[in-house]
Order: sequence, then C-alpha cells, then structure tokens
Amino acid sequence: MSRFLLAVALLAPTAAFAAAPGGVPELPPYQVRTAQPAGDRLQPGRDPKAVFEHSCGYCHFPGGMGTNLLTKQMMMLKRPPSDGVLTNRHDLLPDYVKAVVRNGKGAMPAQTRVDLTDAELNAVAAYLAQKPIKGKK
Amino acid sequence: MKLTLPPRVSPQSFDAALKAFAGVVGAGWVMSSDADRDAYADAYAPGSAERWPASAAVAPASVEEVRAIVRIANEYKVPLWPVARGKNLGYGTAAPRMAGSVVLDMGRMNRILELDPKLAYAVVEPGVGFFDLHDEVERQKAPLWLSVPGNGWGSVIGNALEHGIGYTPYGLHARNLCGIEAVLPDGDLLRTGMGAMKDNPAWHLFPMNYGPTWDLAFSQSNLGVVTKAGLWMQPAPETSLELTWDIPNEEDIGWVIDTVTPLKIAGVIDQNVFIPSWLGKIVVLGTRKDFWDKPTAMPEWRVKELLKQYQLGYWRVSIRLYGDESVNKAKAEVIKAAFKRHLSAPAMESWWRQGDPKPPLDLALGTPSAVPLQMSDWVGGRGAHLGFSPVVPATGEHVMGQLKRSRKIIADHDVDFYASFTIGGRFANNVNMLMYDRDNAAQVDNMKKLFNALISETAKAGYGEYRTHLGWMDRVMDTFDFNDHALRRFGEKVKDALDPNGIIAPGKQGIWPAAYRALQKEGAE
Repeated sequence: MSRFLLAVALLAPTAAFAAAPGGVPELPPYQVRTAQPAGDRLQPGRDPKAVFEHSCGYCHFPGGMGTNLLTKQMMMLKRPPSDGVLTNRHDLLPDYVKAVVRNGKGAMPAQTRVDLTDAELNAVAAYLAQKPIKGKK
Repeated sequence: MKLTLPPRVSPQSFDAALKAFAGVVGAGWVMSSDADRDAYADAYAPGSAERWPASAAVAPASVEEVRAIVRIANEYKVPLWPVARGKNLGYGTAAPRMAGSVVLDMGRMNRILELDPKLAYAVVEPGVGFFDLHDEVERQKAPLWLSVPGNGWGSVIGNALEHGIGYTPYGLHARNLCGIEAVLPDGDLLRTGMGAMKDNPAWHLFPMNYGPTWDLAFSQSNLGVVTKAGLWMQPAPETSLELTWDIPNEEDIGWVIDTVTPLKIAGVIDQNVFIPSWLGKIVVLGTRKDFWDKPTAMPEWRVKELLKQYQLGYWRVSIRLYGDESVNKAKAEVIKAAFKRHLSAPAMESWWRQGDPKPPLDLALGTPSAVPLQMSDWVGGRGAHLGFSPVVPATGEHVMGQLKRSRKIIADHDVDFYASFTIGGRFANNVNMLMYDRDNAAQVDNMKKLFNALISETAKAGYGEYRTHLGWMDRVMDTFDFNDHALRRFGEKVKDALDPNGIIAPGKQGIWPAAYRALQKEGAE
C-alpha cells in the first residue's frame, strides 16, 4: 500500500467526503501509544485510559483506521467529524462497546481475550461510556 | 461458533487436555467458549468462517509454558495452531488449517528483550507487534527504523515468518530474522545459529549455523513454535528523498520494471519499490458505489474518467532513498536520468531530514499503520480481501506476461482489476487484490472460482505464489510439482520425523503429517 494513496485517502475530497459537511480533518502526526499497564490482566481495576490507548490506539487514535472510517460515517450522519474519535463520543453504552469489540464491526475484526481481557474490556467500556449524553443529566 | 473437536479426540479427552492446559497457563488463558471460537475465526473468510474452526485457544506467557503445552498436546493428541498475534488478515487471520485445532496464541509473549542501536538489531517475542516495537524505539529514542507491512497491527516475527514484505531497504522481512529460538514438536528447545552455543553474544548477528542453517525452516512451517528471534533493523538515516512519477499507461509497467530492477540490483535503490495500479489509489477514497454503482467490473471508459478526474496515472512509482544528503542527491541524479529516457515529466521530490516529523502513514518511513485495512470499506458490508500473489522475474517481459494473463482471467470473471508489483531485487512480487463482501454468496463463489483459475493458469505459465490463504494452501502446494512434488514429499518426511503425532499446525502450507494426511481435502477450496 503506498504512502500516496493513504495520504490521498485522507486529504483529497471524495464523492463520500464531499457530500459531508465540514470538510476532511487534517491528518494528525503519529501518536505513540501508552505501554501496556503492568499487573495481572485478568484482574479488575485495570487503568482504563492506558488500556484504551495501548490496545485500541492502533486504530482509534486520530488518524487511525477506525477513526478515519468512523469520521466518514459521522459526517455522513451530519455529525461533527470529531465524533470519529471514540473518546469524544457521548452516546456509547458499555454493552455496545463490548459487543463491537467481541463481534467486530465493519472493517474491525473481533478482538480475542488475549487482545483485550474481559477485565480490560470492562474498564474500557466504562471509560468510553462515562461521558454523559449532551442535554441530559 | 459451536465446538468442533479435533479429529479422533473424544469430548472427555478434549476436556482433560483443556484442564491440563489450564494447569499450565491458568484457567483465564484457556479460551473455549462459542464467543472465543468466533474471535479466533477468519475475519475475512470467503464464505463461512466455520470451514476453518478452532476448538479453543490457549495463551502461554513463557517459553516453559509453551513447552509444557506442546507436551500435553502430544499426550492428548490435540493439535495446536500457533499464531503470533493472529492478525494474518487475508490469509486466514488466526484460524487453523485443520478443523478442531487449538490456537496457540503467542500474543502474551510480547517482550522486547533487546534493542541494540549500535549493531542495529532487536530481540523480540512473537507477541510484539509493529506498533509495539515502533513505540518502544520512539520511547528510547533509539536511532533505528522498522520495515512495516500494510497491516502494522500484526506481529513483527509472525509477519517475517510468513514471508511478509515491506517497502524499506529492510523490506524482505524473513531476511531480517537472525537467530531463532523454537520449541520443537516434542517439547525440546532449539536455538539456531550462534545461539546454539550457550550465551554466545553473536547469536543475532551472524545469520548462519555451524552446519545446516535452520532459521527459515521455521518460516511458513509446522516444524516448531518460534518463541523469540533476532531482528536486524535499519539504522535511522540522516535524510530520505522520495522521487515520485505518475506513469500514464498500463503497458508502461514494462519499461518501469526494466528501469528500476537494474538500479535495485546494483544498490542505487535500496528499498523494495512498490508500484500499485490505479485502483490502489481510488480504493480508500470512498466506497465502490461512489465510483461505480453496478455489480459488474468497472469498465475501461470509467477508469479513464476517474484517472482524469483525480489526475492520476495508471501506475504510480515512488522511489525512496535513505542516507546522507550528498549520497541521496547523487543517487537521485542516476535514477532521474534513467527515467528521463522514457518519461519527460520530472519527478516530484520530497525530502525528509533528521528532526523533521515523519509524514503520517508513510509506510516507506517505517511508521506502522492499520489504515490500509480501510479498503475493506470499499465493497461495503463485511468487506474482505484475498491476495493472489505470484512471484515473477523482475523483467518487463515477465511482468507484462503476468499482468496480461491475470488481467484477462479477472476480467473474464467480471471483477475489478487491482494489482501491484513490488520489485524486491531480482524478482517482482505481483499482488492481485480481490475484494468481496463476505455475506454476498454469489460474489464469494465467483471469487473462489477466480482464485482457482488464477492459481492454475499462472502455474501453467510456470509461476508460483509466495503465500496464500488457508483454503488454498494445498492447491498452491500442488503447483510446486518438480520431480513428483519432491518439495512436499521432503516436507512430509521431515514433518513425520520431528512430529510423529502431527501436533504442530497440521496442513500448514500444504504439509500434512501422516496422522492427518487423509484429512487434507477438508477445508480445501
């Protein structure tokens, strides 16, 4: 896969993007992920932010595959492009996060319990879902 | 996914084996629910993933645990399918070739054991992904670069063992392996090369054994479970210069290859040169229906329209040079003069210098990314791909022959043509990307027929594939037919000698142990 097509994919207007409001977000620089937190991965109490960054950051940091595809989906739904970043979302429920992680969704393959243990998934699901939905308590 | 037991293993015996595995790794690291089996299935399976079902997975954390698991597997005759991180997308993901095999998931063994900037190498375990190694290099500010494949999500060792290819001077990943530790099918432990001597500091520096060299015998192989390996890395260069040309016409690929290959063999160009066709540039721009809303292959007139609209050539060649500025400038003049003989357009030039941020997603700068997997969005639904990947000599004549042959077969099956050639030296690696919606039965069926036709017609012309999906491992092995399939017969003899119970990865790359040889038609497309 060439550098060129990747850059074009994110920077050039396309049929899908052109129809979406707000234009295409700029490509961010590469972000180094947090190291996997120490300790027993099977036990509750994992650092949710560190786990998210380590285990989901490959694709869900700005500029990652998941972010790019979700950004496109959000823009087509007339939502702000920034909603393509999972940590900006206000509408994620823990069970939904768990279902997507374990079953996969679109281009995202299912994650095994070695990729993300149940304890880690519980932490990440709560972390992504903790933001209150706008307009509600 | 419901449980499929390994062949000739009773439910009681299987449960006992899992209990014994749990005794080694802990119950939390033996995964045997329906959901676990789904998670270890082939994410890109053409059709049902149940064609290649795992029965369970077990995840060790140390070499000693791997040895114990292998001994237990022998005791209960439960076959293991080792995966490094299980991200072999397009080739089977983590799924086993033989139904009922237990996935031996090495993902927890993810330590970077050494990172030596002076002699430019690392020692890593199989669970270390490209992102992990890259991030550790960044954290340590080590002056080392990686060579990454299209999917940086996978394992560094796993990709090298599967003969993966990247786009830097270190792009032949299997060649970067130096000194391997492997658990053998009987649970014994081997270190290759200078590592065969206890504590020899040259283990990961000298690439051969005293006597026969075994490192690559563990690649695309079922002769052992690799538990660590040395990996040569590229010293970070002072500068890098990229020269890019759009190549207008399809048939131009002939002179492009004949121009690039001699420069690559002579060392003027160090990197693997990746040359994608037009669809490679369009495919991540949106979804297919944005560009062509019919199920039939995109016609030539539409291709021409798109190339004009996006100001693209049929091919694009980017050549990246690495090293001191004066050397790169001198090399660039040689390369530009060679291209000028065929193309009047000047190269687009882009410099990178130490201290500059690396352009994001530039795989030729060794930054890992999973973004190329976005192409699964192209077909819509549960998008997936298979790669048909023959190797041909790196001459215009061979490449044009391969291009014309595969193009016709793909057109005959009414499928979009999306090819690339990577010049790795004396050979060109041709990847034909075949994209499909997993839930569109007619499309999947057509893709399978197309894949079979490509394998047989390409073999008739005298060429073979370097790697393939689970379902075609036997068919591709069949094409290596010299002296009544001497390669397979040799592989089987070695397999039976080292692994009498056939415990490690039966059927991997078409090598079946005697214990399961009768099952080789199952799961074969």
